Order: sequence, then C-alpha cells, then structure tokens
Amino acid sequence: MKENKVHNDSEYFLAAWSEGEISAEELKKYVSEEDFNAYMKLEKGIHLYEKLEAPLDHSFKKIQEKIKNKSKSKVRKLYIGWFTSIAASIVLFIGLYSLLGNNTVLLNANIGEHKNVALLDGSEVILNSKSEISYNKRTWKKEREVTLKGEAYFKVQKGSTFTVKTINGSVTVLGTQFNVISRDDFFEVICYEGKVSVKNELSSIILLPGNSVRVLNGEIIEDHQIKQQSPSWILGESTFKSIPLKYVINALENQYNVRFDRSLIDESVIYTGSFNNKNLEIALATVFKPTNIKYRMTTANIILLENN
Amino acid sequence: MSKDLNNICNPTIFEKVFRTYSKDLKRFLYFKFGDMESCEDIMQDTFVKLWDNCSSVNYNKVKSYLFTVGNNLFLNIKKHEKIVREHQQLKVNESTYESPEFLLLEKEFQLKLEKAIAALSERQREVFLLNKIEKKKYKEIAEMLGLSVKAVEKRMHGALKELRNKIGNI
Repeated sequence: MKENKVHNDSEYFLAAWSEGEISAEELKKYVSEEDFNAYMKLEKGIHLYEKLEAPLDHSFKKIQEKIKNKSKSKVRKLYIGWFTSIAASIVLFIGLYSLLGNNTVLLNANIGEHKNVALLDGSEVILNSKSEISYNKRTWKKEREVTLKGEAYFKVQKGSTFTVKTINGSVTVLGTQFNVISRDDFFEVICYEGKVSVKNELSSIILLPGNSVRVLNGEIIEDHQIKQQSPSWILGESTFKSIPLKYVINALENQYNVRFDRSLIDESVIYTGSFNNKNLEIALATVFKPTNIKYRMTTANIILLENN
Repeated sequence: MSKDLNNICNPTIFEKVFRTYSKDLKRFLYFKFGDMESCEDIMQDTFVKLWDNCSSVNYNKVKSYLFTVGNNLFLNIKKHEKIVREHQQLKVNESTYESPEFLLLEKEFQLKLEKAIAALSERQREVFLLNKIEKKKYKEIAEMLGLSVKAVEKRMHGALKELRNKIGNI
C-alpha cells in the first residue's frame, strides 16, 4: 500500500529503476540482497554495453569534424605562409639563377704563366701557359669531368671516373697522374702513374705508366718510353720528342707572347729537345740553333724565321 | 574497379571500414586498457589517422592497422599522463586501469551479458535496445511501437529480470 503510494508503477520497478525513476536504495526494498548485487553488476554491464554498442553515426560525425578541422588548420597554415612562400620562391629563383648561371667554373692560365688548380675532390691540375679548363660545379659530385683546351698536368684523387674532355678526344682515369696536350689538331697524353684510357672518334687506347699516345694529323702514334716522373714544363722547361717543328713553334708562341713568321722555313722538320720557359733568348737559341734556322725580331713581337 | 573498391581514400569505403571495425576497435581498446572514457576518443583519432594515411594503407590489412595505431595512441596517452603526473609530483594510484585478471573476468561477464541480450525475446530486446542504445524514453518507445507506456515498462522490466536470471549468481 505504502509502496504504491510512492510509485504507482512499482509493478515494473526494474523498468523504473533502469530509467532512474527510483534510486538503487529504493530498489533494495523490492529485491533480495543477492538480486540487488546482481542488478548492480548488471547495471554496470549494461552501461558498458551502451558505450560499446553506441550508435556509430555520432562517432563518425566527430571523426569527420576532426578531419575537417585538421584540413582547415592546414589551409590556414598555407594562408599564413603566403609571404613565406613568396620569400621562399624569391630565394629559390636566386638559387636557381646562381645554379644555372654560375655552375660552370672556368680557369685559365695566360701566356707565360702556370696555374695550380685544386678541384673540388682534391685533385690537382697544373695548367700550362695559354690553357684553360672548365667544369660543372653542379654535376661534379655525380661525374668528375673537366674540359681542357691547351695543356695541363693532372694529379687525380682516387674515386669515381675522372674524365678530361678535349676537342681531340677524351681521357678517362680513376686516379692517377697524367699530362694532356690538346692544341689545335695536336693531341698528346702521357701517363705518369696509374692507368689512363684515351678515346677519340676512331679508337681507344689504355696507357700504362711511362706510355704516351699522340694524335697527329689523324694518325695515332704510341709507345714512347717516358723516363720523367712529371712533365718538364712544370719545372720551367718544355720538352719535345720527335715532334714536327710546327708544334714546337706553337709552344713557343704559347709560352712567350710572341708571333713567328714561318713562311720561309720547313715546319715539318722533326725536333727533339727542350726549351727554357723563362728566357726567350735562351729558348730561341735552343730551338733554332740545332735546326739551323735564323731568327730575327722584325716588328714588335713578330719574329721572322729563315733557313740558313 | 577493384582498385576503387579497395581504396580507403574513397569516403564511402572509409565509412564502410569505420562501420565494420569501429566497434571491434573500441572493444579491443576497452578490454586491453579498461578505460572507457579514452576509448571513444582514441577510436576516433585512430580513424582520423587512417584517413590521413588512407593512400598508404592496404585495404586487406586495415584491421590490423587500426588495432596497432589504436594501441599505440593509447600507450602514448598513458605515457604522457605519467609524465604529467611526475611533473605535478602527484602520487596517484599507479594502476589507473584495471588488472588483467579483473579485465578478463569483466570481459567474460560482458560476453555473457551480450549473449543474454541477444537471447531476449524479440519484444523485450526491441524495447531494451531502443531505450539503452537509441536513448529513447519509455514514452517515446510507446509512441513508436503503438503501445501503452505501461506495456513498454512491462517489457523492460521483463527484459531486465530475464538478463539477471541469465547471468546467474555473481
């Protein structure tokens, strides 16, 4: 009677308790202690069940919101970075410009001077007078390649393939010392250490220390036994072995700022010997006395050559 | 075509993955760590992460991806909480989540309960689920099903009584 007064639907007290219409304390009045504990446990279990089985739509909406907010904040970041991106692209353009504009390094030695050059990998190049090399700074790490005009002595650090390109052919090595001359149609490579591979359009030759190869008028001449440890021009002397006089005279022109009038002599005479790179008078004497040629300074810097 | 069906970046597929695995994931997290409050959040964050990496996750391995990511997220949070606590120099009960034995018992109980719910009569289960899962008031259920509130209460009462009998003594 009393119960009915408090809850008119106490008939279904479990439903009322479950809905929170009556408290756990009140539930105690309806059930045994054992049952009460069981219902308490059941309540916990149902609560968990509710959470585990909760409808997915709400969760999914939340996830979509989170994703949206994330991409929103990303967009905002980009917007803030507007100025940064302009600055970055300016830097990029400057960088690109400097890369594209300046990536070829050109080094040259003027008439009468030698130049020692250290390359990026520690390889050493000594440029003889009136010679130049160039290389690409950007691609250097990928391939060691220099372009040579004139004459140079190379001491190459060990590493990947090192290539010297000239208009007369290319020289490929791994790490070694060698001298390359490529002037006009004259091409000569002398190997002092290691192994050198020389290539032109026609053929390819491997040089061992003390070997040299020379291309003259398209003809390949090999196998001079070279006794020096390094080219003599480094020590201030230009040495020649069985070379047409033409190229010796060219060498004189490259070494000293002079011109020769060769119209009166036979340039194909073969010459073996050397001349001093410091003193023109001595050099002229050592070249032209043995070949029986008179030399006479006509106008400034032009020397007339005549047969005796 | 099959590529499209397996591409998680496709919103439809993503939702399908969510509907297939989110409950399992939540359950896995709960019974591993026993912290229901964090489980929902972590489950959501896990799916956000899945969306971020949708192009690199293999559709056939998405379940293990979800479980692994969820697991790691949870451990990260716990690690972070531990550091926060250390900084605050608070001595809180070290075992913030339940012992494995307890969890195992609870899991068993939960499975038993779920079986019991599934075994309810159609009428009782309907009311029970509408009330508990869909969060409908008895009055609303009554309107929906064309019953009196009294009838709904009767079914609910019966359902709870049935469940109590099924789970036996504890």
